[in-house]
Amino acid sequence: MDAAKNKTANEPQANGNDYLWDGSGAPDPEIRKLEALLGEFRHDRPAPPFPEMVLSRGWTLFPLRMRLFPVLAATAAALLAVAAIVFPRQGTQPPPVAVAGWEVSRRAGTPQIGSTAIHANERPSRFGLGQVLETDAQSRASLQAEDVGRIEIEPNSRVRVLTMGQGLKRIALDRGKISAFIWSPPGQFVVDTPSATTVDLGCAYTLQVDDSGNGLVRTSLGWVGFKLNGHESFIPAGAACATRPKVGPGTPYFEDASAEFRAALARFDFDDSTAEQRSAELAIVLAHSRKGDALTLWHLLARVDQGQRGLVYDRLYRLVPAPASVTKEGILRLDQPMLDLWWNALGFEDISIWRHWERSWSGDTSGATSGTPATGR
Amino acid sequence: MASRSGDNVDLLAAGLGRQPVSDPLAREISDDATLVRAAQAGDRAAFGRLYERYARLIHGVLLAKVPVGAADDLVQDVFLRALRRLSTLRESGSFGAWLAAIARNLANDYHRRSLPEEPLADDATEHRVSHEEARVQTRTAEDASSAAAILDAIRSLPDAYRETLILRLVEGLTGPEIAARTGLTHGSVRVNLHRGMEQLRAKLSPPQAAVSQKRRRCNGRGEE
Repeated sequence: MDAAKNKTANEPQANGNDYLWDGSGAPDPEIRKLEALLGEFRHDRPAPPFPEMVLSRGWTLFPLRMRLFPVLAATAAALLAVAAIVFPRQGTQPPPVAVAGWEVSRRAGTPQIGSTAIHANERPSRFGLGQVLETDAQSRASLQAEDVGRIEIEPNSRVRVLTMGQGLKRIALDRGKISAFIWSPPGQFVVDTPSATTVDLGCAYTLQVDDSGNGLVRTSLGWVGFKLNGHESFIPAGAACATRPKVGPGTPYFEDASAEFRAALARFDFDDSTAEQRSAELAIVLAHSRKGDALTLWHLLARVDQGQRGLVYDRLYRLVPAPASVTKEGILRLDQPMLDLWWNALGFEDISIWRHWERSWSGDTSGATSGTPATGR
Repeated sequence: MASRSGDNVDLLAAGLGRQPVSDPLAREISDDATLVRAAQAGDRAAFGRLYERYARLIHGVLLAKVPVGAADDLVQDVFLRALRRLSTLRESGSFGAWLAAIARNLANDYHRRSLPEEPLADDATEHRVSHEEARVQTRTAEDASSAAAILDAIRSLPDAYRETLILRLVEGLTGPEIAARTGLTHGSVRVNLHRGMEQLRAKLSPPQAAVSQKRRRCNGRGEE
C-alpha cells in the first residue's frame, strides 16, 4: 500500500472522481489491485431451486380444503374418539399449548425466569407475558423471537414482557443492559425503561439502565426513537442518548463530539440549573459544535427557550443550511413540517418513518396482547 | 461505538446532506417492491429475481462474519428463511435491509453452533486450497496469499467497515448500490468506506514496510 497517497485517498469527494465510492474518475491503482485480488471470493452461484411458496393467506387453498373436508372430518372424529378413551385412563395432562413469546437461551451462569433457573445444556425456555427474566453478576441470557429479533441480556439485568402480539412487541428493561438486534418492521419493537421508551426503527442498539433508572442508548445500525411525555429523540447509528427519570431522553449526540460539547450538553439536559446557567451551557455547546453535531442542534431547536432558539437556528444553519422551503420564522415557532424537512436534509433517515410508526405504537396497541401495563407511560 | 476524536469531522460532514439516488437505482428499488409483492403472492420467479439481485449483498454480509465456504452455503439459508417469513415483511421497499438483518443473524447463529469456533484467520487459506482448481489458474501464489491476507485484514476491522468494504472490494458493489440495497444513507456508506479503507491501509502497510526493510538489509542497498 502506498502510504504517501493515503491522505488524499481517505478524503471523500463531494461528487465525481471518487473511485472508491462509485468507481468514477481515474481508477485508483491500489483499489483496483484489491478488487482484482479479492474478486476470487465474489459470490457467483446461481439461484437454487426454491420450494413452493407458503402463502400467508389461506383462501387459495379453500377449494382443496373443501374437497378434503369429508376425509378430514372423519379423521378428526376418529382421533377424538381415541382421545376420549385414552386420556382419562392415563390421567395425563394435555400437552402444553404453545404461546406467543420469546425463546430464552442461557449464555452464561444461571439466569432465572421468575424462580426457575435456566441451567446449562437445557433446551431453550419460553419467556412470556408477565414473566420476569433476571441475570446476576455471572449470568447472561439471550432472547429470540422468530419475527422480532434477538436480544442479548447482559449480567445484572431485569427484563419483563409487557406485550407480545401480532403487532406491537413490548418489553421492559428495569435495570441492566441489553443488546438488541431487531428485524421486525420498524416501530413494532418497544422497550420501556424507568426513564424513557425506546422504539426500534430498524436497527441494532444497546440500552442500559442503572439502579437509579438512568438510561443510555447507543445505536450501531439503523436508528432508534426515544420518547417520554412527548419529548422525542432520534438516535442514528453512531450516536448515543442518555435518559433520566422524570426528565426523559436527553439530547442525542455523536460520541466523537468534543468532551466540552458532551459535558455541557449533559449539564444542559439534566442539571437542575438556573436559566442563566443553561444559557451558558448552551453557548458552550454551540461554540464547540461541528457539522456532525447538527444532529444535536436540530434536537435543541425544540428544547431551548424561545429566546435562545434563534441562536441555535443560526448555528445549525451555518453547519447545514435549511432547505429553501424552511424559514427562520417557521423554525422559531417550531413548525413541525419545517423541522421535519430540515431533519431530512441532515442526511440520516427520513423522519416520515418515525411519524408513521410513532402513531401506530403510541396510539394503537390493538392486535397486541396486553400484559402488565407499561409503568408511568 | 468507540469514541473518536475530531479526526473525522470532514468525513462525517460528507455524510450530511441527503444525496439523490441515481435513476437506475431508484428504479431498482421500485422494482424490488414490485418483486417482493409478487413473491408474497406466491410468484417463485419473482423471488428468484430478488435472489439474483441480492445474492452478492447477502454473500458480502456473511463473508464479513463467517468462513468463505460457509458464506456460500449460508446464502441459500438466508433466502430460504426469508422466503418463509416473506409474509411478515410489510415494507416491501426495505427488502434489502431486512434480508441483510436475517443474514447477520444467521452468521451469529453459525458461530454459536460452531464450537470450538472456527478461526476466520485460517479460513481464506483453506478456501483457496479447496477451490484451487476452480480458480483462475494463472494467479500466482503471491497473489493468492495476498488475497487471503487482505480478506483476513478486512475481517479484523469493526463490523460496519468490514461489511461495507467487502461489499465494495469483494462483491464489486458501488457505494450508491450498497446504500440502496442496505437502506443505509449515502453518507453512512461513504464514511464507512473511507474510514474502513484508511484502517485497512494501516493494517496492511506495516508488514510491507517490514518486508522492504528486510529486502534493503539483505540487498545491502539503501533503497528498494
